[in-house]
Amino acid sequence: MAVTIVPRSPRSVAATSSVRARKATNAIATAVLWVMASSIIVMLAAFILYIGYLGWSALSPAFILGVPKETTPGGGIGPEIFNSFYILILTLLFTTPIAIAAGVFLQEYAKAGLFRQIVQFSAESLATVPSVVMGLFGLLVFVYTFHWGYTALGGALTLTVLNLPALLRVTQEALASVPDSLREASMALGGTKWQTITRVVLPSAIGRLTTGIVLIAGRIYGETAALIFTAGLSVTGNQPYDLNPFHTAETLAVHLWYTHSESVVPDVDRIGNGSALVLLIMVLLFNVSARLVGRALTKRFTGRVS
Amino acid sequence: MTEMSAQAVFNAAADKIVAEDVDVFYGTFQAIKHASLTMKAQHVTALIGPSGCGKTTFLRALNRMHDLTPGARVEGSILLDGEDIYGADADPVVIRHRIGMVFQRPNPFPKTIYENVVYGPRIHGEGNKAKLDAIAERALRQAALWDEVKDRLQRSALDLSGGQQQRLCIARAVALDPEVILMDEPASALDPIATSKVEDLIGELTEQFTVVIVTHSMQQAARISDFTAFFHLGEIVEVGATNQIFTHPKEKRTEDYITGRFG
Repeated sequence: MAVTIVPRSPRSVAATSSVRARKATNAIATAVLWVMASSIIVMLAAFILYIGYLGWSALSPAFILGVPKETTPGGGIGPEIFNSFYILILTLLFTTPIAIAAGVFLQEYAKAGLFRQIVQFSAESLATVPSVVMGLFGLLVFVYTFHWGYTALGGALTLTVLNLPALLRVTQEALASVPDSLREASMALGGTKWQTITRVVLPSAIGRLTTGIVLIAGRIYGETAALIFTAGLSVTGNQPYDLNPFHTAETLAVHLWYTHSESVVPDVDRIGNGSALVLLIMVLLFNVSARLVGRALTKRFTGRVS
Repeated sequence: MTEMSAQAVFNAAADKIVAEDVDVFYGTFQAIKHASLTMKAQHVTALIGPSGCGKTTFLRALNRMHDLTPGARVEGSILLDGEDIYGADADPVVIRHRIGMVFQRPNPFPKTIYENVVYGPRIHGEGNKAKLDAIAERALRQAALWDEVKDRLQRSALDLSGGQQQRLCIARAVALDPEVILMDEPASALDPIATSKVEDLIGELTEQFTVVIVTHSMQQAARISDFTAFFHLGEIVEVGATNQIFTHPKEKRTEDYITGRFG
């Protein structure tokens, strides 16, 4: 087929109006996206600065280490900080083994099938239960049915049920991130499935796993609604730093809610603002340490920073 | 070697693995049909053929890797020194101890170089540090990697180059002192220099091991193997001394593939 070649008219390399318009659109879009992304930083910074500004003056050794007071000013939050960590540790003690065991089973053993689907569906349903509903469940089971009253253990068990789905998901995602070629390599060397999981899969997943666990620890540390009904609104009177899991154990987050809504102490604002700042610092520390610990463990187990 | 002497070599060498009438199914799809092949001790047998011809599937039947694939099924018999590896008494852990494998893509564990090499001996119960050190050095020397890594055994294996990683994977397989090493296109992800290093290595390995290698490259098969099996559409079309296969193929399909008419 013959093609008629039309001589081309001379062209310039300067931008045409169409090119200018497209470039303007691009510039505007870039600016809008940048502003949206930056707004996240601004919101976080504003939040931290505001809470910091309000709470800073309340921070003192006497406040952080002192015991709370019911009717007189000058109360501290020492036992609440302690209880928050105590319930956190109890909760992780229960949640982590269950979540990791269930996650390993679902991801490594029950590759497909009805049982896996049922467990997965149950976990997802559990994940949608609001924490206040979970608190009422804990109230019915641990406080009333078991006749424990308000206890650290009841609170920790309630938080276990509340956070199990998230930790299960973290485990599954961490395991899924381990390439199958590593499992094959281990099996091809005569490894059993168990050896492959304990010596290759879990060590390869440890960084992600730890990061996920610490982030969830931050959530547990700040959890409030579920604990109001289960762990109670007071600390043990004569023994504020109390390791007995069957004693009442008000946490920092619950204390923050309590002072502002129920309490009759005159210095409510000071205690509230100070508690909020301490809580915020703790949760931020969890987030930062999540990255550091995850990275350190990855390096420890793989000899490399990933 | 001439056709006759190749036949003489084949006859003189001991049988290491004998596959008889092997079928492999993925669900209802039959990937390998009635494949029979004898792999000779301390020789290199190359499995060649176009993509999808079943050569990798056949290789993975030799150390029961299909056990790990849901829906995969192997029929027929595969004898290792006369014992059926699919027999009632045969244990995959023991079989894979005796038959090592190197994969297409280097797959070192995200551990140190040292821990990669001693992984096999460790999981089979060797805990003595001095023995593990000796095993690691021997295996790395056999894989021609020792001089490059001896000063950084505690560094991550992931920091090595692709070619080094693949030689590390060979060292990892060799560390178990297997009788057979299966290789699934071990050089296909490597550059030409790394490829020639791995090829040289394979030749040296036959002093001690039986090697079965899947390769895409006919040149590679010609360079490194003693015997060649040509696969097509799940069947073994022709088996023979590598020289004979490449110079005087008996089957039309082999000749068409060798001369580049398909594949």
